Amino acid sequence: MLSIKNLHVEVDGKEILRGLDLEIGTGEVHAIMGPNGSGKSTLSYVLAGREGYEVTAGEVLFEGRNLLEMEPEERAWAGIFLAMQYPVELPGVNNMSFLRESVNAVRRARGEEELDAVSFMKRVREKAELVKLPDKLLKRSVNAGFSGGEKKRNEILQMALLEPKLTILDEIDSGLDIDALRVVAEGVNALRGPERSFLMITHYQRLLDYIEPDHIHVLAQGRIIRSGGKELALELEEKGYGWILEEEAAA
Amino acid sequence: MITAELQKSWAASLLEGAAGTAAAPWLEELRGQAGALIDCLPPVNRKQEAWRYTNVEPLLKESFQPVVQRPSGYGGEAPEAIGPHRLVFVDGWFMPELSDTALLPEGVTAGSLDEAIAAGDERVKNRLGSVADPGEHLFAALNTALINDGLFLHLPAGVKLESPVELFWLNSGGDAARLAQPRNLVILEPGAEAVLVEHHLPGAAERYLHNGVTEIVLDPGAKLDHYRIQDESEQAWHLSRIALDQGDGSRYHGITLAFGGRLARTEYHGLFTAEEAACTLRGLYTVGNDQLQDFHLDVRHDVPRCSSREQFKGLLHGKGRAVFDGRILVAQDAQKSDAELTNDNLLLTRNAEVDTKPQLEIYADDVKASHGTTVGQLEADQVFYLRARGIDERRALHMLCEGFAAEIIEHIHLESLREQALARLRQTLGEL
Repeated sequence: MLSIKNLHVEVDGKEILRGLDLEIGTGEVHAIMGPNGSGKSTLSYVLAGREGYEVTAGEVLFEGRNLLEMEPEERAWAGIFLAMQYPVELPGVNNMSFLRESVNAVRRARGEEELDAVSFMKRVREKAELVKLPDKLLKRSVNAGFSGGEKKRNEILQMALLEPKLTILDEIDSGLDIDALRVVAEGVNALRGPERSFLMITHYQRLLDYIEPDHIHVLAQGRIIRSGGKELALELEEKGYGWILEEEAAA
Repeated sequence: MITAELQKSWAASLLEGAAGTAAAPWLEELRGQAGALIDCLPPVNRKQEAWRYTNVEPLLKESFQPVVQRPSGYGGEAPEAIGPHRLVFVDGWFMPELSDTALLPEGVTAGSLDEAIAAGDERVKNRLGSVADPGEHLFAALNTALINDGLFLHLPAGVKLESPVELFWLNSGGDAARLAQPRNLVILEPGAEAVLVEHHLPGAAERYLHNGVTEIVLDPGAKLDHYRIQDESEQAWHLSRIALDQGDGSRYHGITLAFGGRLARTEYHGLFTAEEAACTLRGLYTVGNDQLQDFHLDVRHDVPRCSSREQFKGLLHGKGRAVFDGRILVAQDAQKSDAELTNDNLLLTRNAEVDTKPQLEIYADDVKASHGTTVGQLEADQVFYLRARGIDERRALHMLCEGFAAEIIEHIHLESLREQALARLRQTLGEL
């Protein structure tokens, strides 16, 4: 589904990603872990198409298409969704209208019929229930004055509505208590299936207890330096990142 | 630059054009005093703080024809109103045949100021000219010197109108550019409540000058919601001055949405002379190429325990220009005053320009007062967030602008008017 080869990315002239390779197959759940400053968030933003990230080398293919040539909205239409670490507040933009606008934009682009207000409302209520987002937050401005947990649940609600093929979760666990984390994880797990892939970016092993990945990668200094199965997470939990970095330096 | 001579000769030509309309002696006196004032008033040029960023020289180089008689119509139908009470004015004159006031409750007066004066209405004689100071500047003096028609609205004590009183200001066409200069008097007796809606529309004209003055008297406990949608033609000049006199416990809730005109200026003058009164003034302005929107607020807290909230937002595109000058004065005796003033501007292009000047003058020591001004562009993060959700860039921009403006429009407590306002905003955004 997603194929990243030798990706080099600069931000403000500073190289952040230095030859990153990653293959994600359809239906797979991958987790990327790594110390602060390793380039985790840069990777998620480059995949979503945010401005300010200059790709100096490498390629990214999504279902065979050159992702780097696509506008952010085209990536969303193609089925990529980034659940952001810091969801943006949009004062004055009603959450319900925004959700409908987003869902219908994606449906239009996919040649599907737009949802009318009534059937959309029904669908939103259903999914909001799933992520336990209170009804009153649907009537407010997008993310404005939401708590950290509410913002993350609003992200997962959008994911549930858009049903993306590839979901990137950028530190979705940051700032969440255990209950909120469980709700968010349930939302993600409900969407898991043979058609959908996930890329979780996280600092902590904790998230992986709730959303079990098929593959784990360690990102350091802009490259994936180690990949493995679930057991790698446990090893990281026990020993930290130091030993891998040392091994890497020695190699 | 505008000289005293230019100002004098421009006003003189207008006064001449209106000469020969006899009126009651008290009105003649009011007009005459204001006319005489014009010669002494300083010219409206950039040497005056209130006109520093607003150049009206091109206006004073134009000539206009005052309208001294009720026109026969404007060549169109009566506009559709939200509710049953519709008052249509053409070139500043009340048009009974285009209006509908039949369903107003008994005791409520809503109609022509000119007729009320002709009928010797004491309420008009007592209050006309008592709230708005003609000495403020050229245009205020000119309006008073030329008083003929406009709105007279009066609610007796305790009367609460259920439906809004809706005014339509239209203009007739013709060869010469006309001067519409309505004088409006609104009196709400103790405990009366009303909603007043104004639509300023071109009608059949392209080039004209609207120079209106509205005096509003709110007796103790009276409440007025006052919504104004200024949608003049691209070639029009629009000047409005709204002067308030609030009794104790009264409440004024005013919103102006300014979309049209080549040069449009709205002035609010609020004076608290009785305690526990509250006033909220809000405004939204949009400007594009060859357009200037100007807002001036002068709110004075002279007595304790009154509150005022001023919130104005501007959307600027193309080479549009805006001026915001908001002044709140809290006098030494006005303890426990509560005043909050904000002005936020969103510049969608590099060439748009805003001059904003919030002024808080506080002479009392126990007050709650704040002010804040912002001038900024759309945030890249917000645009990206929407695009990442599949919404294209143009639509994202529209949504964010609408969201910005919504914080003013949402204070309109009439749903159908709110919808109209949003539709009008979308029309402007659609042209971007």
